[in-house]
Amino acid sequence: MSHDLGFWTLQALNALQLSMLLFLLSIGLTVIFGLMHFVNLAHGSLYALGAYFAASLAAVGGYWAGFFLAPVAVAGVGVLLYSGLIRRMRKSGPMAQVLVTFGLIFALLDLTRIIWGDLALAIEVPALLDGRVALLGVEYPTYRLFVIALGAVIFAGLAFVLGRTQIGAMIRAGVDNDAMAACLGINVERLFFMVFCVGCALAGLAGAVAAPLLSVTPDMGLQILIPTLIVIVIGGLGSLRGAVAGSLIFGFVQTFGAVLAPQLASVLIYALLAAVLVIKPVGLFPAKG
Amino acid sequence: MFRHTALRYTALVLLASGALFQALTAEYFGLEILTEILILAMLVLALDIVAGFGGMVSLCHGALMGVGAYAYAILSTKAGLAPPVAMAGAIALTGATGWVIGAVCARSHGIYFIMATLAFGQMAYSYVFEAPIFGGDDGLGGISRLDLSLIGVDLNDSRSFALFCLALLGAVYGASVLILRSGLGRSLSGVMHNEQRMRALGLTVWRIKADVFGLSGMIAGLAGALAAQHIMYISPGLLSWTVSGEALVVVILGGLGTLVGPLVGAAAFVVLKHELSAVTTYWHLVVGVLLIAVVMSRANGIFGWIEARWGIWVERRVADATRKQDPEEVTGDA
Amino acid sequence: MKRAILAALGLATGLAVPATAQDIKVGLLLPFSGVYAALGNDIEAGFATALEQFGAETETTFEIIREDTEVKPPVALGKAKKLILQDKVDVMAGIVSSGVLGAVRDMVHGAGVPLIVANAGNDEATGAACSPYITRMSFSNGQVNRPMGQWMYDQGIRKVYTLAPDYAAGRQMIDGFVQTFTAAGGEIVGQEFTPFQKTQDFGPYMAQAKSSGAEAVFVFYAGGEAISFVKQYDSFGLKADLPLYGSGFLTSPLYVNAEGPAAEGVITALHYVPTIDSPANATFVEAFKAKTGRIPSEFAVHGYDAGRALIEAVKAGATDRESLANALRQVRFDGPRGALSIDPATNNIVQPIYVYETVAGEGGLTQKVLAQLPAEADPANGCEMAAPVSN
Repeated sequence: MSHDLGFWTLQALNALQLSMLLFLLSIGLTVIFGLMHFVNLAHGSLYALGAYFAASLAAVGGYWAGFFLAPVAVAGVGVLLYSGLIRRMRKSGPMAQVLVTFGLIFALLDLTRIIWGDLALAIEVPALLDGRVALLGVEYPTYRLFVIALGAVIFAGLAFVLGRTQIGAMIRAGVDNDAMAACLGINVERLFFMVFCVGCALAGLAGAVAAPLLSVTPDMGLQILIPTLIVIVIGGLGSLRGAVAGSLIFGFVQTFGAVLAPQLASVLIYALLAAVLVIKPVGLFPAKG
Repeated sequence: MFRHTALRYTALVLLASGALFQALTAEYFGLEILTEILILAMLVLALDIVAGFGGMVSLCHGALMGVGAYAYAILSTKAGLAPPVAMAGAIALTGATGWVIGAVCARSHGIYFIMATLAFGQMAYSYVFEAPIFGGDDGLGGISRLDLSLIGVDLNDSRSFALFCLALLGAVYGASVLILRSGLGRSLSGVMHNEQRMRALGLTVWRIKADVFGLSGMIAGLAGALAAQHIMYISPGLLSWTVSGEALVVVILGGLGTLVGPLVGAAAFVVLKHELSAVTTYWHLVVGVLLIAVVMSRANGIFGWIEARWGIWVERRVADATRKQDPEEVTGDA
Repeated sequence: MKRAILAALGLATGLAVPATAQDIKVGLLLPFSGVYAALGNDIEAGFATALEQFGAETETTFEIIREDTEVKPPVALGKAKKLILQDKVDVMAGIVSSGVLGAVRDMVHGAGVPLIVANAGNDEATGAACSPYITRMSFSNGQVNRPMGQWMYDQGIRKVYTLAPDYAAGRQMIDGFVQTFTAAGGEIVGQEFTPFQKTQDFGPYMAQAKSSGAEAVFVFYAGGEAISFVKQYDSFGLKADLPLYGSGFLTSPLYVNAEGPAAEGVITALHYVPTIDSPANATFVEAFKAKTGRIPSEFAVHGYDAGRALIEAVKAGATDRESLANALRQVRFDGPRGALSIDPATNNIVQPIYVYETVAGEGGLTQKVLAQLPAEADPANGCEMAAPVSN
């Protein structure tokens, strides 16, 4: 089968779109981990919640209602989780955090089944973003381009906040050395709380955005969790650059690997993860060191 | 260091007699549950050795058990080896896999170690899922049990198989105690408390970790071979990371680092799961909430909590006994 | 004297007590939790509907014991053992996943308990691993797809690209199609098997299909993957140049509405659609809607016909495990799907296949039947079984 330029363009766009989706998810998780040293395995479940909230809101107010309000709803859930659980578990070791968030995965999985049932839900792509755009010689779905654009906008926004605002400087200081930052008078606790909620909102946004593309099922959170972990570990913990790098690496390896060497692709990505963890555990572009 | 206290001995005796009673009197479904508990107990014993006594929290033990199960299945069905040989092969193979994982991950710590084991577990899962020889998602069937007709035991009978598993579990427990009390076990304890110091003392830390992980892998492999024989059918789901997660949950539920605790945890978990799923389809929710509660309570699981309470009770009695003497001594001199 | 009178009274009482009605215990082994719960519920509802509608045709009463397989082979095997050894059921019905069927097959065969398969489609269950105790009332993976090969060729299509998830069912479904399509003279220009339950983005594979030079695409996907696939296929605008065909699970009534307008125009083949125009089907659809409030899916009709088959077997005089197993192999009746019978060589159902197009209707998407292809038994597939004893 011969692959023309159009094929490669199409695949590259697909890879980019997957990367952007993972970027939205991983940026929240990596900053939470880099700043709070807290492993939130339930991040995937928050993504699923975002998709479910978006589905319910879209049924009432259309796609955009879901798009804007689902992240808010998930951030609200984040507030509950933080005050109820996370704040108490912050000082515990990694194993305790893994277990608590593991328990959270179970609990949230069944909660979504209780509230929304077992059948798959769907959201329609909004009329504005329906259809295809002729780009670089191929016809590419407009909605997927929207996802790519959204990822880029969020990246630019976060880069601005982290790099040029005082809050961003405080966050970076906290990631670097939270004890020292506290000594300097930065209210680290409040910073953590804010970062956690924003991370949850981003996960919810990722869910709302992914819902029209993929289907909304109870186990979608579990499915996206491992790819997200791979992204943040390979890319580097705690940094924006790391999240982008990790997402791009995963997106391109997965997409091109899937069509060129499908059997190998899944083993390859885990082998890559293992290699990074063993050789340079902090990842490619960590915030520290 | 692992010591047997009076409390632990009592717990062991109670567990063993309970299991024996169940094995001899229960109906078929009860025997099924018992066998499930025994095999899970073996797996979590393996996990407690590395996690509770070695500080190496592993999310790949489910995958190791799966490796053992598939190794036994392939060796006994496709390669045509006799079951005892296949079992030995499965144990050896899983032990080797565990050793390699332990060696490669030896330099990682904390969350990185956990994620590295997760990565290896998932690699094994993907590989088994894709490779056609393993039957893919449909799994492998037609697995036969060990043939003990030489000593007049038919393992195809549920009761005999349950007793067989109980005997093996006892042997594994004894072996675990021996490992923990040996030189290797003491070195492991040292490594868990302070790696740098052990290195300064001249010990090869990565070797210690790898060796212990390998031994733990052998136990997990045995559990896997038994699981394959129990159901006489295996599928890739055995290697999923959620199984490893559940094993970790059981260890925590029972009591990390107590060796007896995980046995209690296994029994409690399996019974709880069966009772709950008979009542509701949402038992994941209950297990999740329970797990969060147990972890946040900072008690070391059921058995850890019992031991702590017992310790306090004993302390109080000793304090009471010694307190009575002091005033008399003081007034005696005056 | 007194003793004689008492004895006579006792004898008279004994004779006067009417013969108790036969009570058949049925073990229903289905997933009631997890992602397949919806299918399990549909099958159970269909089964209950059949018992309600046809139960009056026999004096036997049925006692149903339900157990949840959780779609996990070890769990299912434990529950099967419980049903067989502890509850001592006379017959079992259900099984959604082929993995679960593989796990319980040996146990069912060894214990001699008849099992009516109400979904699991793996070819070996009525092939190399067949058993006189396992009767399949649902379908086999090859059976549902073989007729499409010839049909698509007859429509003038010569080059096809196939896609399916990479697991046994996916491969068997595609194999069934490829066999007949190439035998008719068509050409398969490319095949791709996507990682099962791990693929969420089918974009890369669709790009490959597009550049392969095919005239049409034939796929098998089910459940969440089907929803994602159909929607993504539509979003790439491929349907105009590269029409989408497939196995009917792609647009199953159970979830086709989640696919929305993207599913319109997709032509698939399945052994049942709720819009089959026959009196038997009309009765079934009405009864099912009255009972559950929704339109029956193919899973519901599996349960319905399983219940009907059981009743037919009982009507033929079967009372215990052996006789039930024997009678079930010989059932034949007209159901919502059309004329049904069991092929005694494989114990698999013989049924017509319907080619249909998904179109917009009032109240959602509906299925427009394009053709009814005749019923054919599975060809020789490695099953070796003694013939049943005639009723």
